[in-house]
Amino acid sequence: MVSMKKKIVVNSIIGLLFVGIVVWLVIGLSAGAKHNSQANQETSKTDEWQRIKQDKQITICLDDTFVPMGFRDKDGKIVGFDVDLANAVFKTMGITVKWQPIDWSMKETELNTGNIDAIWNGYTKTAAREKQVAFSNTYHNATQVLVTLKKNNINSFSDMQDKVLGDQTASSGDESFNQHPKVLKQYVKDQKVVGYDTFDKAFNDLNAGRIDGLLIDEDYARYYVAHQTNPKNYTVTVGGFSVDETAVGFRKSDNQLRQAVNQTLSQFKKDGRMKHIENKWFSN
Amino acid sequence: MNYFLELLPSLLSGLKMTLGVFFFTIIGSIPLGIIVSLGMKSEYFTIRWLINGYIWIMRGTPLLLQLIFVYYGLGMMGISFPRFEAAIIAFIINYAAYLAEIFRGGLQSVPRGQYDAAKVLGFTKIQTFFKIVLPQVIKIVVPSFGNEVINLVKDTSLVYVIGLGDILRAGNIAASRDVTLIPYLLVGLIYLIMTAIVTVLLRRTEKRLNIWR
Repeated sequence: MVSMKKKIVVNSIIGLLFVGIVVWLVIGLSAGAKHNSQANQETSKTDEWQRIKQDKQITICLDDTFVPMGFRDKDGKIVGFDVDLANAVFKTMGITVKWQPIDWSMKETELNTGNIDAIWNGYTKTAAREKQVAFSNTYHNATQVLVTLKKNNINSFSDMQDKVLGDQTASSGDESFNQHPKVLKQYVKDQKVVGYDTFDKAFNDLNAGRIDGLLIDEDYARYYVAHQTNPKNYTVTVGGFSVDETAVGFRKSDNQLRQAVNQTLSQFKKDGRMKHIENKWFSN
Repeated sequence: MNYFLELLPSLLSGLKMTLGVFFFTIIGSIPLGIIVSLGMKSEYFTIRWLINGYIWIMRGTPLLLQLIFVYYGLGMMGISFPRFEAAIIAFIINYAAYLAEIFRGGLQSVPRGQYDAAKVLGFTKIQTFFKIVLPQVIKIVVPSFGNEVINLVKDTSLVYVIGLGDILRAGNIAASRDVTLIPYLLVGLIYLIMTAIVTVLLRRTEKRLNIWR
């Protein structure tokens, strides 16, 4: 048996240590939160461009299930439109790209904690995202389309009256769906949408009749419809959604990096290299 | 069949991640679990309270949330681990909590009289634990321990949230690329093979331990 005196001493030491750790954690957390809100207020952090140039390496994140923008081929190699484009852009600067697969819903957190230097993977400009990241100039345009089964005869957004709609959770299509309720939301059943993590699952449910329509970016729509066993069974409807501008996301503090990428992108547009890469991935 | 062979390399590289998380978690969480279960019987109430709080948090929140906290949350506070290490840490502290409860059950089933007998026979506390108590506890906890191990095989798939490519993610990639559900079928099959191996190993251990019952 331990003596009463020793018990009191040990208990109070452990108690004090615990309180100390809690206080330290709370201070750390609030400092972290402050740091974070500062990062959002434009250029408070240092520009990382010098480090990237020195290391000759930049880390870019992608969702490696995002066809045809960035995904893995059968050998596990990361390929796609954005992958080719980013590799080419940074090659002109003598920088190699390290591709980091991430969970798509964590992309802005990854960027602002410094795990990655850029988001370049079919990343659409939206008002909410502009608060968190700084976008490059637009390099690709696409709109949100509705994919339905031909046999259901849905040829306009208003034909979705009381029908079930699916989309990808946290995608830009999901955001426009909620922001412009007049375009499509007012028609669909219960004004709700079924959210999927990947589009292949959504296509499965479309084929099985559990959803009647799928809201999807037109680039992906083309790819997925082309890869279905019978592409002729589908109708792709372009409705009233505005054109989405696809751009690269950077930290707000990385001005030099953003300018360098913007310059190279416009150069690519002029000399036809952009067209070349587009043809490789988007022509069918 | 051809398609299966095409997928195999990417699935196997995903399997490496799955197995890595699995083995490191097993190796780390067993000793930590034993220490925590001993701590629950501590004479100091502060230690008991802290450990109960720890177990409450670990069992009371989703492992997915704990992964996000260890990687992104601590990262924001300036304590940043690489992805794989963060996953291992989150898994070990989570599984240690579950294992500690299992070990506690095992420890409680060893009668008080055995401790007294050992004391009379001149065993030290450490000798009593390692030579008398632990061998009996191991035998008692094997079935419920096995349950956790099989759960762990499947829980490893949660590492996708911090960007690690395990076997389920490899299946996900193939499914969205080729627009087919077959990769998931293969992934399921590989999980079944893994759990079958774990089950057989656990049965064998149980049998061997039964010899001196």
